[in-house]
Amino acid sequence: MASIGTIARRTFLIGSAAIAGGVAFGYYAYQRPVSNPLTDILGDGETTLNPFIKIDQSGVTIITPRADLGQGAYSIQAALVAEELDIAWEDIRVDPGPPSPSYFNAIVASEGFPAAAWDKGLGASALRGLGSAMSKFMGMQMTGGSTTVPDGFDRMRMAGAVARDVLLSAAAEQSGIAKAELKTKDGAVITPSGDELSYTSLAEAAALIEPPSNVKLKPESEWRYLGKNMRRLDIVEKSTGTAEYGIDVIMPDMVFATVRTNPRFGGGLKKFDASSAEKMRGVIKVVEIDGGVGVLADNTWRAFKAADAIDCDWGSAPYPATSDEQWTEAAASFTEERQDSQFRNEGDVALALDGADLIEAEYKVPYLAHAALEPLNTIVQFKDGQLDIWTGTQIPGIVIQNIASLTGLDADNIKVHVLIGGGSFGRRLEDDYVQQAVQLAMAHQGAPIKMTWSREEDMTHDFPRPMGMARGRGSVKNGKVDAYDLGIAYPSVSASQFGERYGVPLPGPDVTIVAGAWDQPFSIPNYRVTGYRVPPLVPVSSWRSVGASGNGFFHDCFLDELIHAAGADPLEERIRLCWHEPSRKVLETVGEMSNWGSALGENRGRGVAFTFSFGVAAAEVVEVTDTPQGIKIDKVFGAAEVGKVLDPVNIEAQMQGGIIWGLGHAMNAEITYADGMAEQTNYHAFEGMRLYQTPEIEVRALTNGPDLRGIGEPAVPPAAPALANAIFAATGKRIRELPLNKHIDFV
Amino acid sequence: MNETGNHMQLKVNGKEHEVEVEEDMPLLWVLRDELGITGPKYGCGITACGACTVHIDGMAIRSCSMPVGDVFGEVTTIEGLGTPDALHAVQAAWIEHQVAQCGYCQSGQIMAAAAFLEVNPDPDDEAIDRALSANLCRCGTYVRVREAVKTAAAKLRGV
Amino acid sequence: MKKLIFALTGLTAFIVVHALAEEEEAPLAPLEAGSVSQEDGLANWAKIHEVFSHPRCANCHVDDSGIPMWSGPSYGKTRPHGMFISGGETRIGIEFVQCGTCHGRENSPTPHGPPGNEVWLLAPAEMQWFDKSSQEICEQIKDPERNGGRTILEVAEHVSHDPLVHWGWDPGPGREAAPYSAAETTDSILKWQAAGAPCPSAE
Repeated sequence: MASIGTIARRTFLIGSAAIAGGVAFGYYAYQRPVSNPLTDILGDGETTLNPFIKIDQSGVTIITPRADLGQGAYSIQAALVAEELDIAWEDIRVDPGPPSPSYFNAIVASEGFPAAAWDKGLGASALRGLGSAMSKFMGMQMTGGSTTVPDGFDRMRMAGAVARDVLLSAAAEQSGIAKAELKTKDGAVITPSGDELSYTSLAEAAALIEPPSNVKLKPESEWRYLGKNMRRLDIVEKSTGTAEYGIDVIMPDMVFATVRTNPRFGGGLKKFDASSAEKMRGVIKVVEIDGGVGVLADNTWRAFKAADAIDCDWGSAPYPATSDEQWTEAAASFTEERQDSQFRNEGDVALALDGADLIEAEYKVPYLAHAALEPLNTIVQFKDGQLDIWTGTQIPGIVIQNIASLTGLDADNIKVHVLIGGGSFGRRLEDDYVQQAVQLAMAHQGAPIKMTWSREEDMTHDFPRPMGMARGRGSVKNGKVDAYDLGIAYPSVSASQFGERYGVPLPGPDVTIVAGAWDQPFSIPNYRVTGYRVPPLVPVSSWRSVGASGNGFFHDCFLDELIHAAGADPLEERIRLCWHEPSRKVLETVGEMSNWGSALGENRGRGVAFTFSFGVAAAEVVEVTDTPQGIKIDKVFGAAEVGKVLDPVNIEAQMQGGIIWGLGHAMNAEITYADGMAEQTNYHAFEGMRLYQTPEIEVRALTNGPDLRGIGEPAVPPAAPALANAIFAATGKRIRELPLNKHIDFV
Repeated sequence: MNETGNHMQLKVNGKEHEVEVEEDMPLLWVLRDELGITGPKYGCGITACGACTVHIDGMAIRSCSMPVGDVFGEVTTIEGLGTPDALHAVQAAWIEHQVAQCGYCQSGQIMAAAAFLEVNPDPDDEAIDRALSANLCRCGTYVRVREAVKTAAAKLRGV
Repeated sequence: MKKLIFALTGLTAFIVVHALAEEEEAPLAPLEAGSVSQEDGLANWAKIHEVFSHPRCANCHVDDSGIPMWSGPSYGKTRPHGMFISGGETRIGIEFVQCGTCHGRENSPTPHGPPGNEVWLLAPAEMQWFDKSSQEICEQIKDPERNGGRTILEVAEHVSHDPLVHWGWDPGPGREAAPYSAAETTDSILKWQAAGAPCPSAE
């Protein structure tokens, strides 16, 4: 039976999905069909109908190649396939599948190009097309950029529909009943007389049938799952302690391990003395790895203790070692020489500001750690020339590439088994922890090794969101914003992450330096946004909402300053300036939700902010009270334009979570460096929001725009500026630096 | 707990276990690495996140910082609170409200909530905030945590 | 409520055992009244105040709001104990976020881990030191209504013998200990008493 799977002709899917979805990649060559990676790994009794569907005697398994870090990716991917395939919700099983270029993410790379998602012009489409082509070439099976839903919407429904079609054909052949008279229901083909032919019984025959070149997808009105509240597939496991994260994996003869590397990134290990650690109870072996040491032991705690007992002589940091020095470097970056981009330059800013009452401000955002609650970990076994890796990752393809070059093994001998992640927020777009675990496994072959980071190791080795600085200059005229000139300086995430660690340097400007600022749908008579590239400091990475995470604060708060200077209403003026209809609706909606303009009472204030990011217009209104003990966040209203609502309950959860993420870090979180090392070593010093600080949150997803969009990130950027603007409204204090608690207390 | 040298008796989820470990090994690591009970999670190791919360004789305790030698009673982990087939009211409420995102903190949240509702079966927002603010969630599920605690309280009161 | 009562009973047992242990120690003898000058007495009070107002002591000698504080060199900006923690009316925590939920019988060996002791609780509200002046604390120490019903000699004995007080000098890794030692502080109290327990004038 397995041999059926080796028929390598089920390869049409990407091409046909692309056509059905109306996506023009621009270059036909890139529409070459992809192979079905499941064919190589089918077990006994398993059949595959296409890269997203595997069937065996006990039912259907849907392949969900986008990682679930908590954002509900498995459930929505399964729903897309199940909707068309027609299987019962409770019968759905999911499997992340093998890493494969077939599961490339066509959308994520397009975010790396300066084409704003609202721009439908030919030039912008061509640029975006280049992004998707490159992504495919790079085999980027990446989870990120809030793309799981838009990337999978057509492709995965097509997978379900095509599979259903061949199952119907197989049933027609088997029963002798015309295909048109057959229906499907909950994993079975139903004959006119009511007989049921299960998909499992039809799968083998179906796999031999040439799939149709096109199929008709269900109209929205017939959806049974999409558009309705779905019960997350993992909700029972995650509510009963039975969900298995990497850190929970237990295998026979497994060895427990941890590592300790130089907290000064890239500083290296000069020498070490493990003599006392080696004598400690349970320690099996101490191994030198890149930039540090690893301990293999019979228990994680014993490994932690032994790692602490190793005397390490670390090298110094290859970058300015203190936050102060790094800020000096950032402040010196607003020069022509370091200019990286100027994607927006409308009107004549210089002329408009000349002789005008100049409003100037400098803004700062700190480094931020991802600090997912599950400390990074990986299980690796190297046995008989085969390397098996179990880990939570957003980049399985890149992991294989990097591990192949690290070990010299052929990529075919490296298997990555993707696990759910106990959070990520972008951290699992890196694979440093996987590489460390592999080094331990190569040094101790045969047994599976579970390498777990201590929280301290995790916090001090978090490639953070970069610190950044913005300088705004502007002027107002006749009660309106007239000139807006914003310069933004960050070290480049693209150079650090793609260039240094993915080995794929991206040419041209780093769009993330200005994302969430240059691409805002406002028409200001004189409007300029310039990006400056700070030379590399600490290695930096993508953090939930990436460039927009800081730029939302820069762009919107400075706009708020100008609006106040103009004496205009913060919401009305934003609406007036906004030319993009769906975005304007978003602003109007939060205005209506928050009853904007109504009296709030003594010591209270209300702030609004807007950020367009990841193709989503998002606006938030925050209400605060200035209490004698500090600022209390009372209530938050959020609206976002997503094009289409596929899972209302999860959109609500993601928006609530994004708002809490944005507010919590804005309140109290930063990573600072001294002697090249992060000074925050655990959650006592990097807290984010707690339950008692959590406001009431009301959110609404709008569907006035043309494109379906993901919502994992876009609710983050407007949260910090809305809070800062609310604090200004309540106290008259304009805070231009995050975290805000450097300047004001919170209760 | 009876001790004989490093041999210790530990009652977890109604079952007796004998472990042979250092007395200062935190209960969390005895549960996870010695007994294979992985519901309680390691998040911080310093009682800053609450992911490791278990009950000892019904009292919520951070197992990451309690030396196993100090365990003073019977341990209940989330596996002992309820199972997918026999949910505790708090777990049922957590499912109903779809609280979990990544889910990693939720064992601790649920254990803290269950202990709390035993002593305060009809809590207001202030009491809920007091009881659960020591449990950190990075995904931002707090709004739903609050709702689920109220639903669970109603279930437990039989309302 | 049953379990809470049970837990409280457990704690009470702890405290009783604790109190018994305290009684077994040899009693302190007071110094002869007048054997220490007023000036030396005030100098000794200054040392006592350094100890009592030190974060390791004062952070848990808080008012009837029952909110322990985080302050001192190892804690950065002074603020209420994180995580919305309250000692409650019982001063041992509230509704299953008792102090003992995190604070065990020993200091955590992990940096920034919770400190611990056989007993972990807030001092009674009437013994508030946090945010009070040297003169206010001084008057308080002499007033049995606000010092736990003790004579000055008994205050000295308490400082000399009580394990939770002693924790202030052994607060675990990364935390600044209270100045001097239990013995030195006891000695200062006895000298201060012999000088007639003088208090500094209001600031």
